[in-house]
Amino acid sequence: MLLFAVAVVLLAYIAASLGLRGKLPSGLPGYIVVFALIMVGAHVAVRRFAPYADPLLLPLAALLNGLGIVMIYRLQESGRQGNPGNLVSPVMPTSTTLYQLVFTGVGIVGLVLVLALISEARVLQRYTYTLGAVGLLLLAIPAVLPASHSAVNGAKVWIIFGGLSVQPGEFARLALAVFFAGYLVSKRDVLALAGRHVLGIDLPRARDLGPVLIAWAASLLILIFETDIGQSALFFGLFVVMLYIATQRTSWLLIGVGLFLAGTFITANLSSHVMERFTIWLHPFQGSNPLNSSFQLVQGIEGMAYGGLFGTGLGHGQPYFTPLVQSDFIFTAFGEELGLVGVMALLLVFGLLVQRGLRAALAVKDPFSKLLAGGLSFVLGLQIFVIVGGVTGLIPLTGVTTPFLSQGGSSLVASWILVGVLIRISDSARKPAPQPIQDEGMTQVVRAA
Amino acid sequence: MNRAILRISLACLVLFALLLLNVNYVQGFETTKLADEPHNVRVFDAQFTYQRGAILAGGDGTEVKIADSRLIKGTDVYQRYYPDGKIYAPVTGYDTIYGKSGIEQAENSLLAGTDPRLTVHNFTALLTGKQKQGAAVDLTISPAAQTAAYTALTNDGGHAAAVVAIQPSTGAILALASYPTFNPNALTTFNGTQFDKIDNQLLRDPAQPLLNRATQETYPPGSSFKIITSSAAFSTGKVANPSTLVPAPTVLTLPNGNHLINDGGETCFDGNPQIIQAFYQSCNTAFGALGIKLTAPVLRNYSSQFGMNKPLSIPLPVVPSVLPEVKGWTDPSLTAFSAIGQFNDAVTPLQEAMFSAAIANHGTLQYPYLVQQVVGPGLSTIERAQPATLSQAVSPTVAGYVQSMMYQVTHNPGGTAYATAGPQATGGITIDGKTGTAQNGISNGNLNDAVFTCFVPGTNGSASPIAVGVIVQGGGFGADAAAPIAVQVIKAYLGAHS
Repeated sequence: MLLFAVAVVLLAYIAASLGLRGKLPSGLPGYIVVFALIMVGAHVAVRRFAPYADPLLLPLAALLNGLGIVMIYRLQESGRQGNPGNLVSPVMPTSTTLYQLVFTGVGIVGLVLVLALISEARVLQRYTYTLGAVGLLLLAIPAVLPASHSAVNGAKVWIIFGGLSVQPGEFARLALAVFFAGYLVSKRDVLALAGRHVLGIDLPRARDLGPVLIAWAASLLILIFETDIGQSALFFGLFVVMLYIATQRTSWLLIGVGLFLAGTFITANLSSHVMERFTIWLHPFQGSNPLNSSFQLVQGIEGMAYGGLFGTGLGHGQPYFTPLVQSDFIFTAFGEELGLVGVMALLLVFGLLVQRGLRAALAVKDPFSKLLAGGLSFVLGLQIFVIVGGVTGLIPLTGVTTPFLSQGGSSLVASWILVGVLIRISDSARKPAPQPIQDEGMTQVVRAA
Repeated sequence: MNRAILRISLACLVLFALLLLNVNYVQGFETTKLADEPHNVRVFDAQFTYQRGAILAGGDGTEVKIADSRLIKGTDVYQRYYPDGKIYAPVTGYDTIYGKSGIEQAENSLLAGTDPRLTVHNFTALLTGKQKQGAAVDLTISPAAQTAAYTALTNDGGHAAAVVAIQPSTGAILALASYPTFNPNALTTFNGTQFDKIDNQLLRDPAQPLLNRATQETYPPGSSFKIITSSAAFSTGKVANPSTLVPAPTVLTLPNGNHLINDGGETCFDGNPQIIQAFYQSCNTAFGALGIKLTAPVLRNYSSQFGMNKPLSIPLPVVPSVLPEVKGWTDPSLTAFSAIGQFNDAVTPLQEAMFSAAIANHGTLQYPYLVQQVVGPGLSTIERAQPATLSQAVSPTVAGYVQSMMYQVTHNPGGTAYATAGPQATGGITIDGKTGTAQNGISNGNLNDAVFTCFVPGTNGSASPIAVGVIVQGGGFGADAAAPIAVQVIKAYLGAHS
């Protein structure tokens, strides 16, 4: 499977080069060999540290990662060295692909470290509160930093020092998932205690609402201080779904969704930034919107429509018209150049990845691992839904990264660590139960013929 | 916890199903709509990177390319080229970086190759690595008639004018010219600054060269409207036949006390002529009185039968020619003026041609059209014109009555167009017509517009080959300024056709 994934990436890379300048890529051995070596290394590590792991998780993620690199390469080369098109953006220098490749390596190192250091996911339970504190800290840092060290394109979600920038929210999500899993496993009986029964729904007791309200307040604070609807939706969605998995009570889901809608409604009326997102979503083509506020969304959607069923082919489209096409809008670049067929395939790969993660959650026995795998898989799916739905006009657009595809180190490394955790849990789930120790001398196995 | 996880995994499936449905919607169903969005830069950029379909004129059998796309040397960009730009500009319009007009606009999806009917071809081209190409649009325009029309208008003393020629039996438009006109080649530049400069010049020119007078401007029809008044009178039985006597006083006193007189205050025979005499001498009092007798709604009804009061698409958009229902329009004193093509009557030159075309085709008015056929890049015919009836304007009998009256206009030495469209002037070609000299402007202060509508009748059962409508703005007498233009177009067309 991994070989297949690497082969697809190789072919895509060649196609992109042919599409751009009609000849084979000059850096062919470089990029692709490094990528293949990284993935083979990951494979060996998985075989070594998690021999029973789900065999699909790594190849699926590798395929997405590789296609992302190819698209970033293609966008980076646009308008350079006589290639057709315009330069994508000033923040996309010729080293972009190299950086993405380096961060793929860092991500894989993260994955290997997870597998090597954590023999069972449930050992993480010991660090429940430590990781909880780390997570909240990571979330809060950009909010308190001055804008020059934290804001890019209006969203205050970065830590920027020198040339290095990190999106701590990506890692905070992982840490908080561990915290929620640990916290909920210990408190789930209390939270699941029957309160009043109204209209066929078990309402929780008022004082048990505490943690939900705290999570809600925290996500609202993210929304207000970091103007990042996507991040806050992911954060809150993660918490509510883990709460639901832990307690199995639908009322938590309803309360959670209700609180989120109410919070969004309130902030939409308070913050012009959030309100504008709704206007863009509802009226992208109205009046002069396509030239101003909804320019990016309209460019992305028109690009996808221009690609049609089969796409223009890698290197033949004009994705460079869409601002931030290398990060938030990379999905539309795939839509334009690989067509409906291509993005359906991508969505199926994403869907498969999420479902394999949930599969591990179902199969693993220990409740902490179950909760963690369920929460992480769901939040991965939700992240894909939020960004892909956003750039295709299904839901209001919020700036979260497209896992594995978007340019950007933080998201890539965090996604690989997430997959590492899922691989670890799937390994625990599929590991055969240890055989009872048998004294071979005493026991004779009788086989009925 | 497994029940909850199963439900969450179901929820994830639903989320992904929604995403899949949405990308299908965007990339499968909405593509054409999104491609037509204004400001779609991809479609805009792409339109010059492949060969746009040609526009051809071939109405008389000789096909002439009147718009073509040529590869600019050393680039992979195609530029539009109009071989006889000024002659065909009112038909082709222009295709520029900032906009289109004329056939370029009306048939854009076929010329550009984005029409759904070309999808299969485009897909095959994609697979075989061939270049995408637009379809060619064949027009009904006759190069001979169009060239003659352009020349005649250009040599007419600089008056703004337009002429339209129609094949009455089908509705095919043989010529459609407007003067002053423009050279579309000047607008095909890719240089935005240069384009703006030329475009501004054209837009600011007081002569309005970009205005297509044949389809976009209306003028009072004047006495040519007496064709409608006569048709209504015969059809309603108010007048039995062309020999029926009608009152035609020298001065007609209207119900409101105003007076209607004949042109130059002349008498009309003995004041009680046959309607055919009143027609060929174009007596206003006879038809004014008839109008009052018919009433305004009936006149309007027959004007609609001749194609007025509604917009047309040929497929160029055509503004409606009107007998409008303004406040007080049924006042008989005003109806007398409506009946002779004054008051608020306003028609396009195309409508003038349609008046004659309906009579020439035995009362059946065919829907006018410009596109004969559309030929795909694989030389397969994608679309072929299907002549359609717009309306049965009058019965064949009534059409025959009106035709006999229009014959007298050009063949009776007393007819208004005897000198300019009679047998001597045409070199033996029979033309039946009706002149109009329309007063216009506030208090009729402007120069009169010259109007002429006519047709060549069919002989021995064959269909009438051509009907022509001409309006010369400020040209004076219809017989003097407009009729010779029609005669030249007819001569050129019949000359090329026989």
